[in-house]
Amino acid sequence: MSLAIIGMPGDRPLAPRVTRFTAQFWDALAEGRFLVTRCKACHQKSFPPQAHCKSCLGCDIDWIELGGRGRLYSATRVHAGPARFAAALPYSVGIVDLDDGVRLATRLLGNAGPEHLDQPVQLVVTRYQDGPLFAAELVAPDASIP
Amino acid sequence: MPLLGSADPIAIVGAAATPVGRLAPRRGEPTEQLEHEVLAEVVLRALDDAGIGNRDVGSAVFTLPPANTLQLGFATFMCARLGLRCTGQVAEVVEMGITGGLAFDQAAADVSLGHADFALALGVSFQSAMPAADAMEGSIRVVGDVDFQSPFGLTPISWYAFDAARYLHDTGASREDLAAIAVKSRQHAAHNELAQFGDPLTVDDVLNARPIVEPLGLFDVPAIADGAICLVLARESTARATGKAFVTVRGRGFYHEGFHQVGDVPGDITAFPAARRATDAAMDRAGIQLADLDLAEIYAPCTITEVLVSEALDICPRGQGGAAARDGETAIGGHLPLNTSGGCLARGHPPSLTALYGLLELRQQLLHTAGPRQVNDARLGLHLCELGNYNAALAHVVEGPQ
Repeated sequence: MSLAIIGMPGDRPLAPRVTRFTAQFWDALAEGRFLVTRCKACHQKSFPPQAHCKSCLGCDIDWIELGGRGRLYSATRVHAGPARFAAALPYSVGIVDLDDGVRLATRLLGNAGPEHLDQPVQLVVTRYQDGPLFAAELVAPDASIP
Repeated sequence: MPLLGSADPIAIVGAAATPVGRLAPRRGEPTEQLEHEVLAEVVLRALDDAGIGNRDVGSAVFTLPPANTLQLGFATFMCARLGLRCTGQVAEVVEMGITGGLAFDQAAADVSLGHADFALALGVSFQSAMPAADAMEGSIRVVGDVDFQSPFGLTPISWYAFDAARYLHDTGASREDLAAIAVKSRQHAAHNELAQFGDPLTVDDVLNARPIVEPLGLFDVPAIADGAICLVLARESTARATGKAFVTVRGRGFYHEGFHQVGDVPGDITAFPAARRATDAAMDRAGIQLADLDLAEIYAPCTITEVLVSEALDICPRGQGGAAARDGETAIGGHLPLNTSGGCLARGHPPSLTALYGLLELRQQLLHTAGPRQVNDARLGLHLCELGNYNAALAHVVEGPQ
């Protein structure tokens, strides 16, 4: 279930803060594993991960690993962005619906855009010099099943 | 105790505003006026419009000035300059695009609860001097989870671009359909002295403009704008005693769907359920239905946003929001005119003030003082503002003089 790890130049444009709790996500991500939290009582998954269930407020949660396969729900190419992202313009971002039933927003690699909606995508780890982020890239249809 | 929609409802009894556009000093040029100087002139005009003096004001609820405003403690600073002696509250309020609506609600609550005879909902926003790339350094931290979304560079309008991409994909509507909103907005704004852009725009202009967040281009999205505005609120019984013309709030509704921009469970992001819930609640409170409305002023920063709201409220069928604008159904003279001011795209969009400018437009229309853009016999108007990607919406039904 390990995600591909893609080397990126330089540091992350905006680095996430890491807490004792979220370190579990970021440490796993650095090793190619994408984790979300799941409530042991009601099985609600949460992403971003959180220490309590937003459905039943239960605090007994599991970390579960997802496969990272999904579909591109929506996408845009950003041509006007914040100063710290200027070097990356235009860059692509999207909303991805993972096969495991989790939706997330992320960077898209490979110049994906609005013309690629509903196409299969795969989460990858983007390894910057100062740490990891995640992203999604389009999967060629004939490569969707290994 | 009087409440919104009650026998002694809230009245808007005075108002004033600057045109939307560039008010802030340009870098390297002499400073013409600062925020407080511009707002003070507006407040004096609004008090004069209401026929009251500074000592009649019991509450002053300001929209939080943008982060580049140097003067902090802005609310009490302004009250001191204006000679106000408040009994209700002095405050700055904020939550994204709904900010102006919150200032209005909070001022309304104070007069409703008897904390003040007259309350001001007001604000000033100078943002045009700040480069957009710098402004977005802050705004990406507003419209996303700072640790799990902002690192990807999700700008505020990129969320509306997601709506647009999905909507065009699902409905088969075209960019031309979205462009109809921008064209109509300019037509409305041509007759609004407060508008930022009154020049005409063609569909080709919109389609050929440079991309900003695909599929949205320059004219599908709002420009940076400054503004300053003040509304004077009172209970209807108090307003009546001023002898001035006023409009009244007949219903109010709010709903937050529980998401911050996007949920983690797949669903239709273009459905805007909060817009529907808030509007239905306001109309229920007012005892009216959609067909009773004469116009609606809705917070819609991008072309796609007006399309989606008009469909969420069943003003037009799914996939037809753009066509309804092109065919004139949502234009002045049409079935239900939307954004007769020109809206965010043409009247202009100082985000924290947009809701107050929208309520001002309703007041002008319902008092029949809107000049060439007057909606004939307008009696009932809907105002809707929102935050995030319409994750929350706040609706008011406003009625003209009986």
